[in-house]
Amino acid sequence: MTRRMQVNGRVVDTEAVTLAELLQAQGYDLGAAMACAINSGFVPRTKWAGHELAEGDCIDVIVPVTGG
Amino acid sequence: MNTMPWTVGGCALQSRLLLGTARYPSLQVLSDAVAACGTQVLTVGLRRLQPELGGGNAFWQRVRALGCHVLPNTAGCHSVQEAVTLAEMAREIFGTPWIKLEVVGDDYTLQPDPFGTVEAAGLLVKSGFQVFAYTTDDLVVARRLQDAGVAAIMPWAAPIGTGRGPLNPYALETLRARLPDAVLVVDAGLGRPSHAAQVMEMGFDAVLLNTAVAEAGDPVRMARAFADATHAGRLAFEATPMTTRQTAQASTPTVGQPFWHNS
Repeated sequence: MTRRMQVNGRVVDTEAVTLAELLQAQGYDLGAAMACAINSGFVPRTKWAGHELAEGDCIDVIVPVTGG
Repeated sequence: MNTMPWTVGGCALQSRLLLGTARYPSLQVLSDAVAACGTQVLTVGLRRLQPELGGGNAFWQRVRALGCHVLPNTAGCHSVQEAVTLAEMAREIFGTPWIKLEVVGDDYTLQPDPFGTVEAAGLLVKSGFQVFAYTTDDLVVARRLQDAGVAAIMPWAAPIGTGRGPLNPYALETLRARLPDAVLVVDAGLGRPSHAAQVMEMGFDAVLLNTAVAEAGDPVRMARAFADATHAGRLAFEATPMTTRQTAQASTPTVGQPFWHNS
Protein backbone atom coordinates (compact mmCIF):
# COMPACT_ATOMS: atom_id res chain seq x y z
CA MET A 1 0.00 0.00 0.00
CA THR A 2 1.45 3.33 -1.01
CA ARG A 3 1.29 6.16 1.51
CA ARG A 4 2.24 9.78 1.22
CA MET A 5 4.52 11.41 3.77
CA GLN A 6 7.32 13.95 3.92
CA VAL A 7 11.02 13.32 4.32
CA ASN A 8 12.97 16.46 5.19
CA GLY A 9 10.18 18.56 3.77
CA ARG A 10 9.96 16.67 0.50
CA VAL A 11 6.79 14.78 -0.41
CA VAL A 12 7.40 11.06 -0.78
CA ASP A 13 5.07 8.27 -1.85
CA THR A 14 6.29 5.07 -0.30
CA GLU A 15 5.40 1.47 0.40
CA ALA A 16 7.80 1.33 3.32
CA VAL A 17 6.17 0.10 6.51
CA THR A 18 8.82 1.04 9.05
CA LEU A 19 11.15 3.98 9.45
CA ALA A 20 14.17 1.80 8.71
CA GLU A 21 12.60 0.62 5.45
CA LEU A 22 11.82 4.18 4.44
CA LEU A 23 15.34 5.37 5.13
CA GLN A 24 16.81 2.55 3.08
CA ALA A 25 14.36 3.16 0.25
CA GLN A 26 15.36 6.82 0.22
CA GLY A 27 19.02 5.93 -0.07
CA TYR A 28 20.24 6.70 3.41
CA ASP A 29 23.18 4.79 4.84
CA LEU A 30 21.75 3.47 8.10
CA GLY A 31 25.21 3.18 9.58
CA ALA A 32 25.98 6.86 9.12
CA ALA A 33 26.04 9.45 11.88
CA MET A 34 22.46 10.65 11.69
CA ALA A 35 19.33 10.89 13.80
CA CYS A 36 15.62 10.88 13.07
CA ALA A 37 12.47 12.54 14.27
CA ILE A 38 8.89 11.91 13.23
CA ASN A 39 6.36 14.70 13.57
CA SER A 40 8.92 16.65 15.62
CA GLY A 41 9.42 13.80 18.11
CA PHE A 42 12.77 12.05 18.46
CA VAL A 43 12.86 8.40 17.38
CA PRO A 44 15.94 6.62 18.76
CA ARG A 45 17.98 4.53 16.38
CA THR A 46 17.08 1.39 18.30
CA LYS A 47 13.44 1.89 17.28
CA TRP A 48 13.90 2.57 13.58
CA ALA A 49 13.28 -1.04 12.58
CA GLY A 50 10.13 -1.36 14.66
CA HIS A 51 8.60 2.08 14.24
CA GLU A 52 5.63 1.83 11.87
CA LEU A 53 4.91 4.86 9.73
CA ALA A 54 1.53 6.49 9.18
CA GLU A 55 -0.01 8.44 6.32
CA GLY A 56 1.10 12.06 6.50
CA ASP A 57 4.08 11.52 8.78
CA CYS A 58 6.79 14.18 8.60
CA ILE A 59 10.23 12.63 8.96
CA ASP A 60 13.36 14.63 9.70
CA VAL A 61 16.77 13.07 9.07
CA ILE A 62 19.68 15.15 10.35
CA VAL A 63 23.43 14.91 10.25
CA PRO A 64 26.36 16.87 11.71
CA VAL A 65 27.22 20.11 9.95
CA THR A 66 29.42 23.05 10.73
CA GLY A 67 28.08 25.26 13.47
CA GLY A 68 28.91 28.00 15.88
CA MET B 1 52.75 30.27 32.38
CA ASN B 2 49.53 28.28 32.60
CA THR B 3 46.26 29.63 33.92
CA MET B 4 44.25 27.61 36.39
CA PRO B 5 42.35 24.75 34.71
CA TRP B 6 38.59 25.00 34.77
CA THR B 7 35.78 22.50 34.77
CA VAL B 8 32.60 22.58 32.75
CA GLY B 9 30.02 19.88 32.13
CA GLY B 10 32.06 17.37 34.10
CA CYS B 11 35.29 17.93 32.11
CA ALA B 12 38.47 19.61 33.29
CA LEU B 13 39.88 21.82 30.55
CA GLN B 14 43.05 23.86 30.16
CA SER B 15 42.05 25.90 27.12
CA ARG B 16 39.53 28.63 27.77
CA LEU B 17 38.69 29.19 24.15
CA LEU B 18 35.77 27.30 22.62
CA LEU B 19 35.66 27.39 18.84
CA GLY B 20 32.87 27.15 16.29
CA THR B 21 33.34 25.17 13.09
CA ALA B 22 31.33 27.24 10.60
CA ARG B 23 32.30 29.60 7.80
CA TYR B 24 35.92 28.53 7.34
CA PRO B 25 37.34 28.61 3.83
CA SER B 26 37.93 24.85 4.02
CA LEU B 27 38.06 21.94 6.43
CA GLN B 28 41.84 22.12 6.29
CA VAL B 29 41.83 25.73 7.45
CA LEU B 30 39.47 24.75 10.25
CA SER B 31 41.85 21.97 11.30
CA ASP B 32 44.83 24.31 11.20
CA ALA B 33 42.99 26.93 13.23
CA VAL B 34 42.12 24.34 15.86
CA ALA B 35 45.76 23.31 16.08
CA ALA B 36 46.92 26.93 16.25
CA CYS B 37 44.69 27.92 19.15
CA GLY B 38 44.75 24.69 21.13
CA THR B 39 41.03 24.66 21.75
CA GLN B 40 39.60 21.57 23.41
CA VAL B 41 35.95 22.22 22.56
CA LEU B 42 34.36 22.55 19.11
CA THR B 43 30.76 23.48 18.46
CA VAL B 44 28.84 21.76 15.67
CA GLY B 45 25.41 22.08 14.15
CA LEU B 46 22.74 19.67 12.88
CA ARG B 47 20.80 19.99 9.68
CA ARG B 48 18.63 17.95 7.37
CA LEU B 49 20.39 15.77 4.84
CA GLN B 50 18.98 14.82 1.45
CA PRO B 51 20.55 11.43 0.77
CA GLU B 52 21.66 12.27 -2.74
CA LEU B 53 23.72 15.20 -1.46
CA GLY B 54 25.88 13.28 1.00
CA GLY B 55 28.58 15.45 2.56
CA GLY B 56 27.68 15.33 6.23
CA ASN B 57 30.06 12.61 7.17
CA ALA B 58 33.20 14.19 5.69
CA PHE B 59 32.82 17.10 8.06
CA TRP B 60 32.07 14.89 11.03
CA GLN B 61 34.98 12.56 10.34
CA ARG B 62 37.33 15.54 10.20
CA VAL B 63 36.01 16.95 13.47
CA ARG B 64 36.27 13.58 15.20
CA ALA B 65 39.88 13.30 14.10
CA LEU B 66 40.70 16.57 15.84
CA GLY B 67 40.12 14.90 19.19
CA CYS B 68 38.22 17.77 20.82
CA HIS B 69 35.13 17.65 22.96
CA VAL B 70 32.09 18.25 20.77
CA LEU B 71 29.43 20.74 21.77
CA PRO B 72 26.41 20.36 19.45
CA ASN B 73 24.04 23.30 19.23
CA THR B 74 20.34 23.81 18.73
CA ALA B 75 20.86 26.79 16.45
CA GLY B 76 17.79 27.86 14.54
CA CYS B 77 15.28 26.39 16.95
CA HIS B 78 12.39 28.73 17.73
CA SER B 79 10.49 26.70 20.29
CA VAL B 80 11.12 24.64 23.37
CA GLN B 81 9.96 21.47 21.62
CA GLU B 82 12.26 22.00 18.66
CA ALA B 83 15.23 22.60 20.93
CA VAL B 84 14.53 19.60 23.15
CA THR B 85 14.00 17.27 20.19
CA LEU B 86 17.16 18.47 18.46
CA ALA B 87 19.11 18.03 21.70
CA GLU B 88 17.91 14.43 21.96
CA MET B 89 18.96 13.81 18.36
CA ALA B 90 22.35 15.38 19.02
CA ARG B 91 22.92 13.22 22.07
CA GLU B 92 22.37 10.11 20.00
CA ILE B 93 24.63 11.18 17.15
CA PHE B 94 27.51 12.53 19.19
CA GLY B 95 27.23 10.38 22.28
CA THR B 96 27.59 13.37 24.56
CA PRO B 97 25.25 14.91 27.13
CA TRP B 98 26.60 18.35 26.21
CA ILE B 99 24.26 20.66 24.36
CA LYS B 100 24.60 24.31 23.47
CA LEU B 101 21.04 25.44 23.94
CA GLU B 102 19.86 28.14 21.59
CA VAL B 103 16.23 29.18 21.30
CA VAL B 104 15.87 32.06 18.89
CA GLY B 105 13.53 34.83 20.01
CA ASP B 106 14.04 37.31 17.20
CA ASP B 107 15.15 36.47 13.69
CA TYR B 108 16.67 39.86 12.93
CA THR B 109 18.94 40.16 15.94
CA LEU B 110 19.07 36.42 16.70
CA GLN B 111 18.41 37.44 20.27
CA PRO B 112 17.65 34.36 22.34
CA ASP B 113 14.18 33.84 23.74
CA PRO B 114 14.80 33.98 27.50
CA PHE B 115 11.53 32.33 28.44
CA GLY B 116 11.94 29.44 26.03
CA THR B 117 15.59 29.05 26.93
CA VAL B 118 14.87 28.76 30.65
CA GLU B 119 12.02 26.30 30.07
CA ALA B 120 14.04 24.15 27.68
CA ALA B 121 17.04 24.24 30.00
CA GLY B 122 14.96 22.87 32.84
CA LEU B 123 13.61 20.03 30.73
CA LEU B 124 17.02 19.12 29.35
CA VAL B 125 18.75 19.15 32.72
CA LYS B 126 16.08 16.80 34.06
CA SER B 127 16.78 14.52 31.09
CA GLY B 128 20.45 14.30 31.97
CA PHE B 129 21.92 16.90 29.64
CA GLN B 130 24.79 19.19 30.49
CA VAL B 131 23.32 22.41 29.17
CA PHE B 132 25.42 25.29 27.87
CA ALA B 133 22.77 27.98 27.67
CA TYR B 134 23.17 30.81 25.19
CA THR B 135 21.48 33.89 26.59
CA THR B 136 21.61 37.65 26.75
CA ASP B 137 23.44 39.56 29.46
CA ASP B 138 20.27 39.80 31.58
CA LEU B 139 21.08 38.97 35.19
CA VAL B 140 17.69 37.63 36.17
CA VAL B 141 17.54 35.26 33.21
CA ALA B 142 21.03 34.07 34.05
CA ARG B 143 19.94 33.42 37.61
CA ARG B 144 16.97 31.37 36.40
CA LEU B 145 19.32 29.33 34.24
CA GLN B 146 21.60 28.77 37.20
CA ASP B 147 18.61 27.67 39.26
CA ALA B 148 17.69 25.24 36.48
CA GLY B 149 21.08 23.61 36.89
CA VAL B 150 22.79 24.41 33.61
CA ALA B 151 26.47 23.56 33.20
CA ALA B 152 27.35 26.97 31.79
CA ILE B 153 25.63 30.28 31.26
CA MET B 154 26.74 31.86 28.00
CA PRO B 155 25.78 35.52 27.63
CA TRP B 156 26.28 37.33 24.40
CA ALA B 157 28.68 40.23 24.14
CA ALA B 158 26.84 41.45 21.04
CA PRO B 159 24.53 39.80 18.51
CA ILE B 160 25.87 36.72 16.75
CA GLY B 161 28.26 37.41 13.94
CA THR B 162 28.49 41.17 14.47
CA GLY B 163 32.01 41.23 15.89
CA ARG B 164 31.21 44.40 17.77
CA GLY B 165 32.66 43.31 21.10
CA PRO B 166 31.05 43.85 24.51
CA LEU B 167 28.25 46.34 23.98
CA ASN B 168 27.38 46.45 27.67
CA PRO B 169 30.48 45.77 29.77
CA TYR B 170 28.63 46.86 32.89
CA ALA B 171 26.07 44.07 32.44
CA LEU B 172 28.78 41.48 31.90
CA GLU B 173 30.69 42.66 34.97
CA THR B 174 27.48 42.50 36.96
CA LEU B 175 26.86 38.91 35.86
CA ARG B 176 30.31 37.91 37.05
CA ALA B 177 29.93 39.74 40.33
CA ARG B 178 26.44 38.46 41.12
CA LEU B 179 26.99 34.86 40.00
CA PRO B 180 30.45 34.11 41.37
CA ASP B 181 29.96 30.35 41.40
CA ALA B 182 28.46 29.97 37.92
CA VAL B 183 30.46 28.90 34.91
CA LEU B 184 30.19 31.93 32.63
CA VAL B 185 31.28 31.82 29.01
CA VAL B 186 30.95 34.84 26.73
CA ASP B 187 29.40 33.56 23.53
CA ALA B 188 28.78 35.62 20.42
CA GLY B 189 29.67 39.08 19.29
CA LEU B 190 33.42 39.08 19.90
CA GLY B 191 35.30 40.36 16.89
CA ARG B 192 38.86 41.04 18.00
CA PRO B 193 41.30 39.47 20.40
CA SER B 194 41.14 42.57 22.60
CA HIS B 195 37.44 41.84 23.14
CA ALA B 196 38.32 38.39 24.42
CA ALA B 197 40.99 39.79 26.71
CA GLN B 198 38.52 42.36 28.03
CA VAL B 199 35.92 39.84 29.13
CA MET B 200 38.50 37.39 30.44
CA GLU B 201 39.94 40.17 32.62
CA MET B 202 36.44 40.52 34.09
CA GLY B 203 36.69 36.94 35.28
CA PHE B 204 34.67 35.07 32.71
CA ASP B 205 35.63 31.43 32.60
CA ALA B 206 36.00 31.20 28.84
CA VAL B 207 34.97 32.63 25.48
CA LEU B 208 33.26 30.98 22.52
CA LEU B 209 34.11 32.25 19.05
CA ASN B 210 33.41 31.41 15.47
CA THR B 211 33.01 34.16 12.89
CA ALA B 212 35.83 36.30 14.30
CA VAL B 213 38.26 33.52 13.48
CA ALA B 214 36.64 31.93 10.45
CA GLU B 215 36.16 35.19 8.55
CA ALA B 216 39.52 36.72 9.40
CA GLY B 217 41.91 37.27 6.51
CA ASP B 218 44.10 34.58 8.00
CA PRO B 219 41.93 32.38 10.23
CA VAL B 220 44.85 30.34 11.51
CA ARG B 221 46.81 33.35 12.75
CA MET B 222 43.66 34.88 14.17
CA ALA B 223 42.89 31.68 16.06
CA ARG B 224 46.29 31.91 17.69
CA ALA B 225 45.79 35.61 18.41
CA PHE B 226 42.51 34.87 20.19
CA ALA B 227 44.11 32.05 22.15
CA ASP B 228 46.88 34.37 23.33
CA ALA B 229 44.42 37.14 24.20
CA THR B 230 42.16 34.76 26.09
CA HIS B 231 45.13 33.41 27.97
CA ALA B 232 46.44 36.91 28.72
CA GLY B 233 43.07 38.08 29.96
CA ARG B 234 42.73 35.12 32.25
CA LEU B 235 46.24 35.53 33.60
CA ALA B 236 45.45 39.18 34.32
CA PHE B 237 42.27 38.22 36.17
CA GLU B 238 44.12 35.68 38.27
CA ALA B 239 46.85 38.26 38.97
CA THR B 240 44.25 40.82 40.18
CA PRO B 241 44.59 44.09 38.26
CA MET B 242 45.46 47.26 40.17
CA THR B 243 42.76 49.54 41.45
CA THR B 244 42.10 52.58 39.27
CA ARG B 245 42.55 56.07 40.74
CA GLN B 246 41.08 59.46 40.00
CA THR B 247 44.40 61.35 40.21
CA ALA B 248 47.95 60.91 38.98
CA GLN B 249 50.43 59.18 41.22
CA ALA B 250 54.11 59.12 40.30
CA SER B 251 55.53 55.65 39.94
CA THR B 252 59.14 56.80 40.41
CA PRO B 253 59.90 57.49 44.12
CA THR B 254 59.78 61.18 45.04
CA VAL B 255 62.25 60.82 47.92
CA GLY B 256 65.72 61.90 46.77
CA GLN B 257 64.40 63.87 43.84
CA PRO B 258 67.46 65.74 42.45
CA PHE B 259 67.47 69.56 42.18
CA TRP B 260 64.60 69.74 44.71
CA HIS B 261 64.61 73.16 46.41
CA ASN B 262 67.80 74.16 44.56
CA SER B 263 66.36 77.45 43.48
